[in-house]
Amino acid sequence: MEAQSSVESQEPTMLRRAIRTIRRHRLTGLLVNITPSAFWLTVFFLIPLGVMFYYSFGERGAFGEVLLGAENLGLQQYRLFFAPSDVSIPQAIWWTVAWIVESLLPFEFSLAAGEPTPYVQLTLKSIAYGLVTTATALVVGYPTAYYIGHIAPEEYRNLLLVLIILPFWASYLVRVYAIQLLLSSNSLVTTALGILPFYEAGTSLMNTQFAVFTGLLYIWIPFMILPVYASIEQLDFTLHEAAMDLGADRFEAFRRVIFPLSMPGVVAGSILVFIPSTGAYVIPELLGGTNSQMIGNFIANQFGASGNWPLGAAASFVLMGVMLLSIWIYQRYGEGDLV
Amino acid sequence: MSLADSDDLSIGQRFRRARSRIFEYGTIGLAIQALLVYLFLYIPIIVVVALSFNNSRYAVVWEGFTTEWYRALLAGETVARVNPAAAFNSLLYSIEIAIVTVVVSTVFGTMLAFALDRYEFPGKGLFLGLVYMPIIIPSIVMGISLLLFFNMIGMSLGVHTAMIAHISFGISFVAVVVAARLRSFDRTLEEAAQDLGANELETFRYVTFPAIKPGVIAGSLLAFAMSFDDFVVTFFVIGNENTLPIFFFSMVRQGISPGVNVVATLILVVTMFLVALAQWIEGPTW
Repeated sequence: MEAQSSVESQEPTMLRRAIRTIRRHRLTGLLVNITPSAFWLTVFFLIPLGVMFYYSFGERGAFGEVLLGAENLGLQQYRLFFAPSDVSIPQAIWWTVAWIVESLLPFEFSLAAGEPTPYVQLTLKSIAYGLVTTATALVVGYPTAYYIGHIAPEEYRNLLLVLIILPFWASYLVRVYAIQLLLSSNSLVTTALGILPFYEAGTSLMNTQFAVFTGLLYIWIPFMILPVYASIEQLDFTLHEAAMDLGADRFEAFRRVIFPLSMPGVVAGSILVFIPSTGAYVIPELLGGTNSQMIGNFIANQFGASGNWPLGAAASFVLMGVMLLSIWIYQRYGEGDLV
Repeated sequence: MSLADSDDLSIGQRFRRARSRIFEYGTIGLAIQALLVYLFLYIPIIVVVALSFNNSRYAVVWEGFTTEWYRALLAGETVARVNPAAAFNSLLYSIEIAIVTVVVSTVFGTMLAFALDRYEFPGKGLFLGLVYMPIIIPSIVMGISLLLFFNMIGMSLGVHTAMIAHISFGISFVAVVVAARLRSFDRTLEEAAQDLGANELETFRYVTFPAIKPGVIAGSLLAFAMSFDDFVVTFFVIGNENTLPIFFFSMVRQGISPGVNVVATLILVVTMFLVALAQWIEGPTW
């Protein structure tokens, strides 16, 4: 602008001024700070998920290769996953619902003409594993969190909390191995259980559903205790006294006042336990036998021995769907953001 | 309710009274329950460590104390199928990957935390979702999607692809921890520094960074632990190389043996040492 008279002498200052303007600009800091991570997460996280999504529409060739040409793309993997062959979609949904109801009822009872596909059965079984683990973690973890957050003397609270977190820092695989050691035949636990009348001392508990549940509970229970503790620790316990002054007994005061107020922690803990235990791979691989495999193992198999990559990709997205659905429920009914 | 008619209480009232009496002793019950949970958490770990000193080649039954397995492994002898040279090699790979992961993801993650803490921009909610996703989605999905991606662009698998994968989740862990720290940071301190003539870099170097340092250290330790401990993601993207968890996994699959117990104990001791170090440097961090 005014600098046109003597370009040579003005150029450095103009340049400096330009740099200054850029440096002062509101968005510069944002762009500088966000670009590396945004680039990394896009290229090495989001795009791979996209690639996987693309594969899930592909087809397996006769020799196990993946066909991704335009003529092969379609929903066939999802159809194979969700609907038994020659069955219409409403029928497949009915069979699935009926199968869930039947497995919940204690007696034999045939509701539908057929069963859902083995893939759907496996998915539902994995969700059931996740739900049972979550429920057990809640029943076992809540009293402990309550004890640490309210009853334990204040000077010991941090120590008690650190003792809950410490195993989380110890190696994941080593801890799963530790459970394997304890449940194998003639170990400390299997020998001690011999006092039970229906149990023969020394029998291995490995490769059972029980082993998988124990492993899942052992690994993920700190994730239930911590958020519940955080909720209880900040509760105003005069409300509990007020409830008792108004005529509630201890149980009623807990059920109607304390428990509802600790719900944010319960919901957060439940999602933190449910998601990793439903998508588990290592624990069923090491502790469960062939009957205790979960959807994570199925996915891994499709990319290994079974060699059907498109079906594995589709199963991965079904699992992702379960996760997103549970997060959606959390955001709807829980409070605040995740983490 | 007066004491006089305590004889003809209804069943419901009797039940409630009994329940209340049980709850009065609840604190003792809760203490016992908590103790059982602590035992549940620690007995398996203690058993692994104890059995690594067990003087028996196969059984999980205690047969006396020995340090034979440690001596043999540290002397480079193969104990019950465990090859110490291979274990050491995989340990070096694990450390190499973890160090690169920590350096890159701490720098990128801290910058990302700044961007998330200080700026509003369109699509921020979606972007936040992207940042949390690597923490939340099952590792098997993350590992396999990366495998497909590397396969598609024709990248050979190895230690470098494992580093790339670990950085992807490391960034998220660091960003979440540092952002939490930044939220409690008083920004008027930065303005004061700039009023006194410091430029942006000087402000960061002398004011902001010292304040958020515990968060950055906590985040980088978490990234180190996650990288060092990760099995599933690494398993799919590392090709023919081994990290310590992968080496350990293949050993465990071959069965329980004194050698496995020794390696397990050494892994436990090393990770616990790192945690203790972190606590000692910065106080309780996570």
